[in-house]
Amino acid sequence: MITPEMLEEPQKITWCTGCGNFGILAALKKAVIELDTPIHELVLTSGIGCSSKILHYIGGVNSIHTLHGRPIPFATGIHLANTDLEVFVHTGDGDCLAEGLGHFVHAARRNVNMAVFIHNNGVNGLTKGQFSPAAPRGYISKTSPPPPGAPMDPVSPMAQAITAGATFVARGFSGDQKGLVKLMVQAIRHKGFAVIDILQPCVTWNRQLTWKYYNEHTYSLEEKGHDVTDKFKALEKAMENGDRYPVGIFYNVERPDLASGIALPEKGALKDHTTDLKDVQKIIDDLML
Amino acid sequence: MDITFNIGGAAGQGIDTIGDLLTQVFVQAGFYTFTIKDFESRIRGGYNFTQIRVSDKPIYASVDEVDVIIALSKDAVVGKRDNLSEGGVIIFDEGIEFDDLEACHFPAPLEKTAREVGGNIRMMNAAALGAVIAVINFPFDLVEQVLADIFGRKGEKIVAGNVAVAKALYDLTKSDFTGTCKYNLETLEKGPSNDKLILTGNKALALGAIAANVKWISSYPMSPSTSVFEDIVTYSHQLKIGSIQTEDEISSLAMAIGASYAGARSMVTTSGGGFSLMVEALGYGAMIEAPVVIYNAQRPGPSTGLPTRTEQADLLFMAFSSQGEFPRIMFAPKDPIEAFDVATRSFNLADKFQIPVMVLGDQYLADSVMNIPRIDVSGVKRDVGKLAKPGPDPDYKRHLLTDDGISPRAFPGDKGKTVVSAGNVHREDGHITEDAEMRALMVQKFMNKIPAIMADLNPPKIYGEEKADITLLTWGSTWGAAYEAVQSLASRGVSINQLHFCDVYPLRTVKLREVFAQAKQVIAVEQNITSQFAQLVRMQTGLEVTQHINKYDGRPMTPQWIISELEEGGIV
Repeated sequence: MITPEMLEEPQKITWCTGCGNFGILAALKKAVIELDTPIHELVLTSGIGCSSKILHYIGGVNSIHTLHGRPIPFATGIHLANTDLEVFVHTGDGDCLAEGLGHFVHAARRNVNMAVFIHNNGVNGLTKGQFSPAAPRGYISKTSPPPPGAPMDPVSPMAQAITAGATFVARGFSGDQKGLVKLMVQAIRHKGFAVIDILQPCVTWNRQLTWKYYNEHTYSLEEKGHDVTDKFKALEKAMENGDRYPVGIFYNVERPDLASGIALPEKGALKDHTTDLKDVQKIIDDLML
Repeated sequence: MDITFNIGGAAGQGIDTIGDLLTQVFVQAGFYTFTIKDFESRIRGGYNFTQIRVSDKPIYASVDEVDVIIALSKDAVVGKRDNLSEGGVIIFDEGIEFDDLEACHFPAPLEKTAREVGGNIRMMNAAALGAVIAVINFPFDLVEQVLADIFGRKGEKIVAGNVAVAKALYDLTKSDFTGTCKYNLETLEKGPSNDKLILTGNKALALGAIAANVKWISSYPMSPSTSVFEDIVTYSHQLKIGSIQTEDEISSLAMAIGASYAGARSMVTTSGGGFSLMVEALGYGAMIEAPVVIYNAQRPGPSTGLPTRTEQADLLFMAFSSQGEFPRIMFAPKDPIEAFDVATRSFNLADKFQIPVMVLGDQYLADSVMNIPRIDVSGVKRDVGKLAKPGPDPDYKRHLLTDDGISPRAFPGDKGKTVVSAGNVHREDGHITEDAEMRALMVQKFMNKIPAIMADLNPPKIYGEEKADITLLTWGSTWGAAYEAVQSLASRGVSINQLHFCDVYPLRTVKLREVFAQAKQVIAVEQNITSQFAQLVRMQTGLEVTQHINKYDGRPMTPQWIISELEEGGIV
């Protein structure tokens, strides 16, 4: 059994007071406890940015803090080297939807068995508030051209995930602990590529997407009676970029995952498998004239 | 006997098939072969050739002069005319419209005979073989025997058909071909070679990797590296090797490092352009001390360059790629035998020192074919390096500071241990820090590995006389051309030898200093324009070569080319 004490942070948290990431960290800890998977079988992977520091604030869990935009390929390698592990990725909108968008789409297409948690706040926080690919059109920051602000529409991680082939796609909100924990547990347990777009305010830089804004502009998809197996309905909801954000599970289906198509050993982890030199000798001898 | 055959034609015409057959015939008959592939970056058409050198003595390079050309297209009839030796022959199908006939030309009914005698146009290969054998007066019974061995698996009918077609062309050539070839091998018996493993450098690397227990490969196709990836994927089902063709090379190396962090021996294959994309992840791998093997089959750059041709111009790029300072090992195997050996050493040293190991091949090594002795894998050692003691250890630290800089590895999934790594500067437990003292300690930790790395690398080798007035300084695949040039010049009485590096980085300098002190002239011979290895030598030792010989047209060096460069430079 995993206890809160086991997960105590190994080092002091450096996020700003009131940061949306605190809610995600709290939910993650609760989810890990609720999952009840042996702790040594968990692996947290992250990219770069405030989101990605999360794994230094949860103790006792294997983790790997990787490169900007690249946590998903690293996590893919970890997962396939040992499919007994439960691999999840923490990434930000700046991380996952800019440099990482190609990897994100391809991992969804491959239906890699992992859960990806996007800490989405519409800004590149750690580099001091530039607009991220998730910032709304017209968002003003130091690097968006004045006067119109960001002269482009944001990436919709939900729509990208659904069209690319992810099999579990949901949106959570850092301010809704109960709902977020539930989504996280479901995402981790899901066999396939699971994405949660987690709305979270950057209290320092983003004056638009605030706690108040999210509280007022989110609504529960479940309460509206949404069919999670209908891809087009899910996409329609994902494209709702207007005044109100649906929260909850958009899409949840089963499809063969990547590992089922890779030459992994029938028993045990790939990392523990040893090629028999006799087989190699036979391959060489068969090449002999 | 030292004959070179050139089979030329358009891509897709079956040059390789004829080439493979010729190679197999001569290998089976006991000869040494060395084959190069010269092809354009296109799927169909153009002018490509396979050039097979055959000798009764060991050979290590391709040569410029060709003795027999088999031309499958008009381009090929004229393409190598200038390289044809005196008394050489150009055989081509009579269907090719070519009117400027000289004594060396032999229009032969290759296709017609294949169809009429063999009943199968694919037996054109045997027809070409028959013609070739006839012009060099090679004993036909030897060929017959060899064809039976080669096609034996396909059944008697195929053997009989091929033999009949070859014989028909053989006889026809004997009676119709009025020119003469300088070779008359009528009395030739089986050659002395028992080397029956026909391999490219790439294939040898792939075999080395599987023998070394590679369990993960993630790559993106890029000439001339791709066949390593393809071969390993081919074996993956049988041997259980995880593999993915990734969306790009960034992902390739990231996945491989992820798999390595989780405990699987991992590699990527690419060429310079792909490696350019891997550079950030290379430094990441070094930072988290994840063993990984990177194969770069070099081709001429910059940018797309010449995708199917050869160069050695990524040496300095690879030696210094990625920001920051960290140890790495670089190998440049000279031939398929060494490529196999380098592959197994690479995985062991990557694990032992928990660093990236890079193998630099090039198109010449990648695609050239040699027949070598059977590789016996029973001697292959697998050393996974320092591992943490099994069992729970709440104090386990993945990046523990140690005297030799190497921290025992554990993997996620090991019960009772937490394995944490980060690309940021980190503490011993893997969690990030900005502490000045820890930063310095971690950098020193990396560098503390270097003395032991140096001790594990092989020193360079002298080929030829131990001491000589002139020393050719070489690395990687140009070894063979330089080796034969040295042999040839030494036989003329020139005081010349060769100092060759396979383990190119970090640089072992003891032998270098000895040679520089002793030789009157040290000549850098490199397949690039700036003598990158010589630059590395100067940077690390202050020693400067006397002259440079550089080739950078994308075509491989030959012994004759090196000799004429030495002559033109007034060196010999």
